Amino acid sequence: MPEEAAGKGLAVADRYYQDYGSRARELKRQGKKILGYLCAFVPVEIITAAGFIPFRIKGDVNEPITKADTEMETIVCPLVRSCFDMSLKGSYEFLDGIVIPHACDSICRTYDVWKYSLNLPYSHLINMPHGTGKPSLDFYQALLGTFRTSLSKFAGVEISDRELIQAIKLHNQNRAKVRELYGLRKASPPLISGTEVAKVLIASVSIPVEESIKMLGDVIEEVRQRGGVPARKSARIMVVGAQVDSIAFIKLIEDSGAWVVADDLCPGAREFFPDVTVADPIEGIAERYLRKVKCGRTYREMEGNYEEYLEDRFGHMSRMIKDFNVDGVVLYIYKYCDPFGFEVPQIKSYIESKGTPVLYLEDEYSMSTIGRLRTRIQAFLELLGSK
Amino acid sequence: MSQYFAGIDLGSTMTKAVIMNQAVLASVIGPTGPEHRKLANRVMEEALTRAKLPFADITYVVATGYGRINVPFADKQITEISCHARGVSYLLPEVKTVIDIGGQDSKGIKLKDGRVVDFVMNDKCAAGTGRFLEVTAEGLGVKLDDMGKLALTAKNAVRISNTCTVFATQEVVSKLAEGMPLPDIIAGLHEAIAARVYSMVGRLKIEKEVALTGGGAKDIGLVKALETKLGYSVLVPPEPLLTGAIGAALLGKDIVKEAEKKGETLPRSERRLTEATFFT
Amino acid sequence: MTEEKKPEEKKKRKTATEAASKIGPMVKATIGGTVQAREEGKPIAYSFICCCYDEIIRAMDIVPVWTENYAGVCGAKRDAQRFLERAEAENFSRSLCTYALCGLGFDAWREELGEMPPEPPWGGQARPDMMLGSGQMLCDPRNKWYQAAQHYMPDIPVYDAGAPWPPYEDDYDYREVQDYYVKYIVEELKGLVKFLEKHTGRKMDWDRLSELVDLADRTWNLIWETYELRRAVPTPMGTGDAMNTMVPMVFMMGTQEAYDFYQELNDELKHKIANKEGVIPDEKYRLIWGGGLPSWFALSDFNYFNSKGAVFPVEVTYRMVEAIYHFDIDLSKITDPLEHIAWRWVKFWTYWYDKAKKRLGSHPDVERLIQYIEDYKIDGIVMHEAFSCRSWHVGLIWQLNLLKKVYKDIPSLILESDIVDISSYNEADTRARIDTFIDTLEAVKSQGR
Repeated sequence: MPEEAAGKGLAVADRYYQDYGSRARELKRQGKKILGYLCAFVPVEIITAAGFIPFRIKGDVNEPITKADTEMETIVCPLVRSCFDMSLKGSYEFLDGIVIPHACDSICRTYDVWKYSLNLPYSHLINMPHGTGKPSLDFYQALLGTFRTSLSKFAGVEISDRELIQAIKLHNQNRAKVRELYGLRKASPPLISGTEVAKVLIASVSIPVEESIKMLGDVIEEVRQRGGVPARKSARIMVVGAQVDSIAFIKLIEDSGAWVVADDLCPGAREFFPDVTVADPIEGIAERYLRKVKCGRTYREMEGNYEEYLEDRFGHMSRMIKDFNVDGVVLYIYKYCDPFGFEVPQIKSYIESKGTPVLYLEDEYSMSTIGRLRTRIQAFLELLGSK
Repeated sequence: MSQYFAGIDLGSTMTKAVIMNQAVLASVIGPTGPEHRKLANRVMEEALTRAKLPFADITYVVATGYGRINVPFADKQITEISCHARGVSYLLPEVKTVIDIGGQDSKGIKLKDGRVVDFVMNDKCAAGTGRFLEVTAEGLGVKLDDMGKLALTAKNAVRISNTCTVFATQEVVSKLAEGMPLPDIIAGLHEAIAARVYSMVGRLKIEKEVALTGGGAKDIGLVKALETKLGYSVLVPPEPLLTGAIGAALLGKDIVKEAEKKGETLPRSERRLTEATFFT
Repeated sequence: MTEEKKPEEKKKRKTATEAASKIGPMVKATIGGTVQAREEGKPIAYSFICCCYDEIIRAMDIVPVWTENYAGVCGAKRDAQRFLERAEAENFSRSLCTYALCGLGFDAWREELGEMPPEPPWGGQARPDMMLGSGQMLCDPRNKWYQAAQHYMPDIPVYDAGAPWPPYEDDYDYREVQDYYVKYIVEELKGLVKFLEKHTGRKMDWDRLSELVDLADRTWNLIWETYELRRAVPTPMGTGDAMNTMVPMVFMMGTQEAYDFYQELNDELKHKIANKEGVIPDEKYRLIWGGGLPSWFALSDFNYFNSKGAVFPVEVTYRMVEAIYHFDIDLSKITDPLEHIAWRWVKFWTYWYDKAKKRLGSHPDVERLIQYIEDYKIDGIVMHEAFSCRSWHVGLIWQLNLLKKVYKDIPSLILESDIVDISSYNEADTRARIDTFIDTLEAVKSQGR
C-alpha cells in the first residue's frame, strides 16, 4: 500500500490525528509561535499572515470531563467544556495565545474563564456580530482591524496587506483541496470513507496551512490510485451538526453499515466550502466569515417569504443531498447548544419537505452514549432500507 | 416443507421469544436478569419445547432488544424499533403510531404502510419508563401490579413536579405523609409518565390509530392516563409484551422470502443452542 | 416575614415593601393589556428586556409583549411544564433557555388551536405583529428564539438589532474601540426605526423620543439612588423585593409610570430608614445575590433566608442601571436620541473596567462584587446556577474563585435549579444547603473574621 512506502497522505493524517498537536509541538521547538483557537469562525488568514501557526483546539470524546468543572459550569456546551478540560490537563501546553470568536454563548461567555485560567501571553476575543447587514459587515471589519493591530503588536511587526493577501490565497488553496477531496465521495461507492475524511480534516486544522495543502494533495492522489474501498453498504448518509472533532461518531455510522458521504459540519463542508473572494483583504475576510459561512450562530435577515427564508438558510444542504446522492440525514446536535438547538425543527422540516428522512440525535459529545446511538442509527438505517 | 421463524426480544427487564409459521405457535416470557446471555438460549429452549420442534427446524432466527448482540444463535439482529413496528402492523394493521413503554426505556414509532418512517426513543432517563413506577411504588410500599388499579380509584390526581425518579419518590413519600390520598398520588405518578411519554412521542406528530405496547400497556392506569392526554382511546394488542418478538420473527420471514425470490442463500448461524461466551 | 408559600395554596408571598407588593397586579394588568391591545388592533411586538429599544417602542406607541416576563409568570405560577413539554414535542432540546421553551411551546399550541391554550396564565401571550430580537452579547436566544418562533408564525416579521459592547481586554483599552461600537449600535437602531415605521405605518416622533430618553436617564439615576438607600443597617429592602421592583426598570423604562414607581419606593425606603425598619427586626447576616436569575417558582426561598436572620441588601441581577452622572462622559451633551442610547449602553457595560485595571488580576464583574460587598457591609455571597441560561449563569464559579483570589475569602453558596423548569428544583435540598451556609456564616461571625 502506498502509505507505507511514502509515509504521506493518509498515514500522515493518521499520525497527526492520533497524536493531536504533535506537529505544533515540533514547530514550537523550532521557535514558531502557536495560537490556539476555537470554532471555524476565527479568521485564520490573519493569524497565518502574522507568522503564527493557527491551531484548532479540540476536545476528546473519550476523556471524562473533570478539571474543567472546577472553573466552568456544566451547562456550557460539552464540546467547549471538553476543549477547556484538555487545555487544563496540559494537552495544549505549547500554546502562546488563544483567539476566541463570538460564535455562541458557550464560547464567548467562557472567554474570561479561558483567559484567566490558562493565563497565556496573548488572548483576544473577536466580538463578531450576529447580523449580516451592511452595518454588521462594517462593524466586523472594524473589529478585524483591532485584531490585526493587536496581533501585530504581539508579533512585533505590522501585518501588511501583502501578507494578508498571500495568507488568504493559501487558505483558499487549502479549501479548494478539501472541495476536491469531497468530490471523491460522490462516487458509488465513495472512493474515500467518511471516517477517513474526518480524520484528514481534523488533522489538517492542527498543522500550518502550507502543510495541510500538501497533505490533502497527497491524500487525494493516494485515494485516486488505490481504486475504491471494497465494502458494499446500505445507505449514503449526510451528517449535519456543529463541530465533530473525532472520528468516533462517523465511524459508528459506517460500522453500522452505511457510508457517510456528505456533511454540514466543522471541520467539514461548512468550514471549507466557502472562499474569500472579495479583493480587499479585510473586507474579503469579513464578507466570507459573516455572510458566506452558513451557520446557526449567524442571523441571516429574511428577504422574501418564509419558504424563501428557509431556502436561503438551508438550501445548501438540499443541494448537497442531490449532488452526493444522499439517502438519509443524521442531525447530530449536542445538548446545551443554542445556535443549533433552536434550529432543529426548521432544519428537520426543511430537509424532510424535500423528501429525505432525518434522524435527529441529541447527544452529550462524549462517547459514553455510544450504545444508545448505535441502536438509533441502526433503526434509522433499517428505516432507509425498507423504503 | 413448513417454515418456522423465531423471534427473540431481549429487553432490559423481560426476555420474550416466539415461534411462528402462519401464526404464533409458542411464546415464552421471562425476566432478563443480569445474565441475559445465558438466558437467551434457555428461553429459546423453552419455546421450542412448547412448539414441539427441534432447533434444526427453525428456518430463521432474529434477535432484537437491548441485548440482541448477545444472542449467538441468531441469524440476524434487528433493532426493536423495526421489530415492534412489524409486530404491531401484523396484529393491528390500522395503527399509524406505536407507543412502547418498557421497563427501562420508551419509544414512539410512526408507521406508514406498515413501515417505520420516523421514531423517537428515551433510554436515558427513567422518568417515562416502567422504572419510574417501579421505584415510586417501592417508595410508597405498594405492589407494582396494584399501581394501575389504584390509580383508577383516584378522585383528584396530585400534580408531581419532579421528573427525576429519585426526587419524585421523595416527593410522593412526603405527600403521603402529609395525608394526601394514596390513589390520588398514584394517579399523579401515572399522569407524570404519560406527560413525559406524550411529549416524547409528540415529536412524531401522532396519528390515529395509536397502539400501546410493552409492559406499560399492562398498567390500566397508564393506559387511561395516556388516553386522557391524547383525547381518544388507544389500541392494546392481546399480549403487549410480545409485539417485539413477533415482529422479529416476521421480519425473519420477510428476509427469507426476499432471498428465495432473488435465489440467494442466506448466511445463518449454527443451529446449536449454547450459552454465549466472551469469544462468540 | 416568615410566611412560606405552599405550592398547593395560592398564598401571596410576603414582601418587605408596599411598592414590591404592587408589582403582581401591575404585571397582570400589563399582560391583560396586551391581550386587549390585540383585540383592539394596536401594534404589538414581542420584545426582550435590555436591548436598547425601550424608548423607541414607547415613542411609537407600540405595545410590547415581554416574552421573558410571560415565561417568568408561568414559572412563578408553576404552570410552565405543559408549555415546556409542548416545545419538547416540537423537537426543542430541554437544555435550551426555558423562557424560550415556554414561549415557543405556548406559541406552537396557540397557533395550532387558533386561539389561546386552555386556561392560559393571566390571559395568555398575545399573537404579535412583529418580533424584535437582538444580536449581541447578552444571549443567543435573543437572536434565535423569535427566528424559531417564525416556524409557527411565518407571516410575522423579525428585526434583530445588534447592540454589542467592548469586551474587557488587556491588549487594548475599550476607549480605543468604543466609537465604532456606538456607530454600529446607532445604525442598527436606525434600521429598527425604519422597520417599525414600515410595519406600523407610523412615523417616529423624534422629539418625543428625546423626551423619553431623558426620562429614562432620570429614571436610571433615581433607581440607582433608591437602591443605594439599601446600604442602611438594617436594610429596608432585600433581593426578594428587588425581583419584583425590577419590573418597571426592565418592562416600563421610558414611562412616567416607571419613574413614579421608583419615586414612591424611594420615599418608602427613606421612611423605613428613618424608623430603623429593616426587612427583618434582627438582622444577623447581610448577603449579596452575586449572580444568576432567581427561580421564579421559588422566590419564597428569600423568605426562608429571612427566617434564618439573613437579608439581601444588594444584588447584581436586574440591577441594570448606573448613575448616569458617574459616567466619564457628559451624556447630556449628546442630544441625538439614538446616539445617546448607544453611548449610555456602552458606558453602562464598561462601567467597571477602569476599576478592574487598577487591581492586579481583577475583572470588572469581580470589581462590582467587591464594591457592593464593601458599600453594603456584606458577610456572604449567594449565586444561583440556572441550568438553562448560559447568559447569566456561566462564569459564576470563576467569579467566585477570582473574588477570593484578588480580594478575600468570603463565605459563598451556589444554589442550583432553573428559572422556569420546576422539575429541576428540590426544595428540601435547597433549604438544606441554605441551612449549611447559615452555619458557615455564623461560624465566621463568631470568629470575628
